[in-house]
Amino acid sequence: MISRFFFILSMACLVLPGITSAATAEAQAKLQGAVNQVLAVANSSGSKAAIATNVRPLLQRSISFETMTRRAVGPGWNTFNAAQKSKATQLFTTLVIRTYSNKFTPGQTPQIQYRTATEPATGRVDVPTTVVYKGSRYTVTYRMEQPGWLITDVVIEGVSMIANYRSQLDATYKKGSADAVIKSLEQSVSKQP
Amino acid sequence: MKKILTLALATVLLASCATPKASVNADLAAKKPKAGDRPMTVEATDALDDYGSTAKVSDPLEKLNRATFWLNDGLYTVIFRPISKGYEKILPKLFRKSVDNVFENAKYPVRVVNCVLQGKGQRAGLETKKFFVNTVAGFGGILRVSDKVPDIADLPAEDSGQTLAKWGVGHGPYIVLPLLGPSSAREVVGLAGDYALNPPNYGLYFHGGNANHDWMLVPPPVNTLRSMPDQLEKYDAATKEAVDPYISAREAYVQQRDEAAKK
Repeated sequence: MISRFFFILSMACLVLPGITSAATAEAQAKLQGAVNQVLAVANSSGSKAAIATNVRPLLQRSISFETMTRRAVGPGWNTFNAAQKSKATQLFTTLVIRTYSNKFTPGQTPQIQYRTATEPATGRVDVPTTVVYKGSRYTVTYRMEQPGWLITDVVIEGVSMIANYRSQLDATYKKGSADAVIKSLEQSVSKQP
Repeated sequence: MKKILTLALATVLLASCATPKASVNADLAAKKPKAGDRPMTVEATDALDDYGSTAKVSDPLEKLNRATFWLNDGLYTVIFRPISKGYEKILPKLFRKSVDNVFENAKYPVRVVNCVLQGKGQRAGLETKKFFVNTVAGFGGILRVSDKVPDIADLPAEDSGQTLAKWGVGHGPYIVLPLLGPSSAREVVGLAGDYALNPPNYGLYFHGGNANHDWMLVPPPVNTLRSMPDQLEKYDAATKEAVDPYISAREAYVQQRDEAAKK
């Protein structure tokens, strides 16, 4: 009985680390594929506005905008009704795509080095990268989550996009309500890019 | 006895199972329990939401800070942005890059002293190597030859604010400085330390009042001018797509400084 127990345990020890590695490898491969596609589209776009339009369908396949919006809004999200959630997600999606595509300048290709990915929690993998762009070096970490290993945050030089928006939107919610959050998102989206 | 041995062996085996392999950052794994094991906090919107409460720094002077922030914003638009654009337009990129390289290389005392103060002896050695490589092979720092040398190509910058953070000094209240922008009580002290350690400023406090040494007053404004495009780009990145630019600049600054202190 004991020997069978140890046999199963030993097998589990051999298999479990493999599962962990598979998760990080899978997430990293998905990210690399998405980033390569985005770069190809960004390179072939003539202006920043065109980049935002052209990369939108690609980003919608690689980013969990629903998760991003929920976490950016924070605890107030639970008081949003279905229509408010949908509206906030739609506005925040536009804002994130614009923020992300604004980082690119047409004709300038970044060099990206993928470093060792980590799995800080079950279902979450952080993929750190070093980006050399326009002569400067940046640390960019992509936070990816299951299901589907979708991007849920981008951390540039230690600054988390979602934590940053959360500090703004949570403060707006606490001063007002769900409608105040939506109104502030509308104002940001309507600003000239 | 056999039971105890069995239990002990099982514990060791289970512990080895739970230890992630090379691909998993052991440090992170040790600090962050798996999501399923962690109770959700009041702020969390789902099991993997670990963003927590939003304010990362105390801001008792918010009204005054907001006023200074918008004053700075106006000054950036009316004065600094046109100067910065003019600088970028008049001088070729290669020249501007060389000027940046010279001033960054000259900041060696800021980096090396703070490496030592943080007990990073090996990093201080690498900083010294980088300084000599760039000064000698890079013609006085004009060329950043260190980019081609793997062990010194990507050294994280060190400064006095990071040293204070390493020594356990908290940010204290958030402060928006006129012209300079986001800071905190700790970082103001750090800025003073960096200022004293940065050689381009030496002329100001050694010979500032002496007419024979007026040329020594040149490097500080040149240093300010050459860093303007980069500073404005950072400011724009934090505020352009923001819902509340003041909070966005504050949080970006604090997160960035906290991350720099960890490196």
